[in-house]
Amino acid sequence: MSTPNSRANPAFYAVIALLVFMSVGPVILMFMNSFKLDVDIISGTSGLIFMPTIQNYEQALCDVLWYEPEHLDFCSLKFGGAFINSLIIALISTALTLVIGCMAAYALVRFRFMGRDTVSLSTLMVRMVPPAVLLVPVFGLWNNEFCLDRDGIIGGAIRDAFGGRGDVCLAGTHSGIILIYVAMNLPFVIWILQSFIVQVPRSLEEAARVDGAGPFQVFFKVVLPLIKPGLAAAAIFTFRIAWNEYLLASALSDRDTRTVPILIVNNMSEFNVEWGVIMATGMLLAIPPIIFTLLASRQIITGMTAGAVKG
Amino acid sequence: MRTAMANRLTPYMFMAPAAIIMAIALMYPLGYMVWGSFRDWNPSQTIGEAEFVGLKNYIFLWNDPNFHESLGVTLRFAFFVVTIEMVIGVGLALLLDREIRGISLLRTMFILPMMIAPVVVGLMWRYMYHPTVGTFNRFLDSIGLPRVDWLGDYALTSVIIADIWQWTPFIFILSLAALQSLPRSALEAARIDGATGWQQIIHIKLPLMMPVLIVTALLRLIDAFKVLEVILVMTEGGPGLSTEILALRISRTATEFRELGVAAAMSNYLLILLLLLTVGMFAFNRWQEARAARLNALVEEES
Amino acid sequence: MFKGLKTTAVGLTTAAIMAGAAYANPYEEYAGTTLIVNFPAHPHYNAAMKVLPEFTKETGIEVEVDQLPYLKMRERQTLELAQDEGEYDLISYVVFSKADYVFADQLENLAKYFMNPKLADPNYDAGDLIDGYVENIGVAGGFKGYLPGPTGSLFGIPFGSETSVLAYRKDIFEKHGIPTPENYDQLLDAACKIPEVEPGMGGMASRAASGHQASHAFLLHLAPLGGRVFDDAWNPIINNAAGVEAANALKTIVDCGPEGAMSFGPSEAANAFASGQAAMFMDSIAFMPGFEDPERSQVVGKVGYAMHPEGVRRGSQTGGFGIGIPKNAENKEAAFLLMQWLTSKKGDLMVAMEGGNPSRFSTYQDAGLNEKYPFASTFGEALKFADPDWRPIIPVWGKINADIGTTMSKVLTEDLDIQEALDGVAERTRAVMDDAGYYTWQ
Repeated sequence: MSTPNSRANPAFYAVIALLVFMSVGPVILMFMNSFKLDVDIISGTSGLIFMPTIQNYEQALCDVLWYEPEHLDFCSLKFGGAFINSLIIALISTALTLVIGCMAAYALVRFRFMGRDTVSLSTLMVRMVPPAVLLVPVFGLWNNEFCLDRDGIIGGAIRDAFGGRGDVCLAGTHSGIILIYVAMNLPFVIWILQSFIVQVPRSLEEAARVDGAGPFQVFFKVVLPLIKPGLAAAAIFTFRIAWNEYLLASALSDRDTRTVPILIVNNMSEFNVEWGVIMATGMLLAIPPIIFTLLASRQIITGMTAGAVKG
Repeated sequence: MRTAMANRLTPYMFMAPAAIIMAIALMYPLGYMVWGSFRDWNPSQTIGEAEFVGLKNYIFLWNDPNFHESLGVTLRFAFFVVTIEMVIGVGLALLLDREIRGISLLRTMFILPMMIAPVVVGLMWRYMYHPTVGTFNRFLDSIGLPRVDWLGDYALTSVIIADIWQWTPFIFILSLAALQSLPRSALEAARIDGATGWQQIIHIKLPLMMPVLIVTALLRLIDAFKVLEVILVMTEGGPGLSTEILALRISRTATEFRELGVAAAMSNYLLILLLLLTVGMFAFNRWQEARAARLNALVEEES
Repeated sequence: MFKGLKTTAVGLTTAAIMAGAAYANPYEEYAGTTLIVNFPAHPHYNAAMKVLPEFTKETGIEVEVDQLPYLKMRERQTLELAQDEGEYDLISYVVFSKADYVFADQLENLAKYFMNPKLADPNYDAGDLIDGYVENIGVAGGFKGYLPGPTGSLFGIPFGSETSVLAYRKDIFEKHGIPTPENYDQLLDAACKIPEVEPGMGGMASRAASGHQASHAFLLHLAPLGGRVFDDAWNPIINNAAGVEAANALKTIVDCGPEGAMSFGPSEAANAFASGQAAMFMDSIAFMPGFEDPERSQVVGKVGYAMHPEGVRRGSQTGGFGIGIPKNAENKEAAFLLMQWLTSKKGDLMVAMEGGNPSRFSTYQDAGLNEKYPFASTFGEALKFADPDWRPIIPVWGKINADIGTTMSKVLTEDLDIQEALDGVAERTRAVMDDAGYYTWQ
């Protein structure tokens, strides 16, 4: 499709350079600002030349630092804890979604007890539900209905083991947030994985079955290794949503389970708009997705195209 | 006998975890929401304590000018975002559809905006739009133009620009993939017939890409109704209600105004709207697919 | 068996300590307790954070603070207070939450703590607390339900209470010979004159962002201009002449304000003033110490402080926060001790020296404080005119507040007709009030 004379066209490369600049520019801007003092950010006289400082990061991470930064009177941003919460929630929900989604996708492809059309249509339907729509019911259910009585056996055991007060409810626990993320991501994961499982040759499975493997063994030993690229794509997308989500997490988390996006939104408002610290927290939140993008862009694009084209 | 039984049960055992989780964490909540939307319900009550008010919440919203405005903002936002992103994304794909060295690196750069948290995107743009310290106004200052109150006078436009920045690459990459998987024979044939670049695009490339483009547009449309964090961080819905999209209004109604019943009713309106759009697009897609298949066959035949 | 023994042993030790040092340390019994408190992210509470280690050192009671932006804090509390057993032992609440919490029976009545001789400090000197604040923030059950009166009682103590003052750039006002605004005419004149004579500088920085902020800004002008949201029979009168005048004043101020004024929250407005983009800033005293902090302000030493200008009457806002003990708290008595300590003469002064807002007359008269913060005397003066009824504190206020805020923001951005807009607010407010049963006795 390439015509020889267009290859050396400088205008063409200028367009590409401009596009790259536009898409990466804001991220680099944020990166640089996170190393500036607020005075430097606001005065604006220095564009590229400034004294880099890690003060902003120190302030953001003050609760997990082993020393006390001199410029802080007290530690108000519990960012380190939130970072750990985010990691726990994102990793566990990604793992669960993958395992459960994989099994379901396999059953749908191999056993054909339900039309694939129905599934892809219902996947689209579920994908259509905005998180904001889930806000009210999830808030109500997780706080009031999905609870264990404190005086009951299990509830009592949990309170004895972990402390805390009141009835044991899903709200305010990591599991509560993980549950909703798994449910939100499952349809998409099932959808993507289906298209990969279809490509696994049936003969391989038959061979394993002849060797005496049960259906679960076939699944874990034969099928799973073959769909690794699909798993990677699905994993990145689930992780991204679980890591970045704000709204539901903010409704469900309490003091100890707040995630990073919640802290960032909280700190945007009110009294001093401390751009430096905000940029530093934003940078910390952005780092895992950026790493993923750099390492696995191929899988991401696979996932994107599979998600769109297999409509 | 036992194995036969086990074999018949296997699919259900594989499906069970997914089905159970979706049932308790998606389907049940949605039903719960419909039920709650008929109640006068505040966050410190359980749903059982809330008073049943019938269709009151729906009627209230139907007549509520603020809801209308918010709905209008949502539709305008979704329309402009999807249209502009489609035009730019597809345009770029057509323009850049050639051998480029380091294309994979370029793609990586382009998908970066999509992967970053919406909260962070909102934060970056809020900074860039800032009336005095922001990048844009500093730039305008430096070339001697008057400053612009981005998030005040042009709030919706500014929010749309931010969304375009984040999501145009999505459409660009998908349409580039579609473009590169087009049947070469058709394009060759057109070139031999002496079709100009424009003619090729309009008569061959676009119609053949159409099924993918439709699905892409549909996905973007659905996602455009989900946008919340970017706007929340950039403008919090203001000034006035000028950027208060429905998702944001639902969340504010639930948390700030403490009206869970009204928020649930609003969620339902939004769901119905989305359902209509999806079904409509789906039907249209089917029709287009059939047409494209016919066209494809025609082209193949001619070549 | 073992457990029983242990309890007895603990009981014995406690008893021994109590007997041995009956008067030595009232905190002894609670040493080692960890209190979980919910504070807003706010300059006053940032100051309080700095003195909390002192409390722990003195009493042995640990304090764990959950700091949130105040609108978020309110959302969190709504949920937390509705539980059977809550997480927080002590909460700070925004003034307008008082009605919600008291109405839902979620705050402890403080009488029983002040009656308890083991807890109440005889040197507390409640008479020294600023009356207007206590009435506005702490007392409920009197006149109109939310004001003090013969039937009222105490549910919280003001901590981080605020009134409004006018901060202005002395240098700019002197340079152009503009008088310090004493009344609203002068204020509005100055607000629009400054952008003319001082290009690039806005007149006054004010809150205006949609929702609570715009409503706050409007009410700030409503009281001094003689308006009220309701008359004595709960009829909305927000759309009378005074209401229109207040809306006009706000519009004038925002139109002549610095760039981006329409989307300002309090922090943006304060920042605009601190970075020299506006010549005036009229808001809560909580922001003022920030203008004298060279790290955050470019106008140190150039700022003059004056009382909230007079309209038809003097009426600066009363607002800010109080602290109270939730009904569902775990360590109520220890929480009371913390509350008492923070609002005692000593605690109040310590917090004020760190940049907080005093709640005691004696603190405002303190020589050390006046030396550190020269504006303390103006604030003390302004307090005399603080209007405890500048905004109604009733359970449905959240809804009405949101409506006023959205409408006012539309007036500012979309040029709605002011009279029409306010008529709409009044009509909707009447419906809300009717729904809530305020007209039952008419």
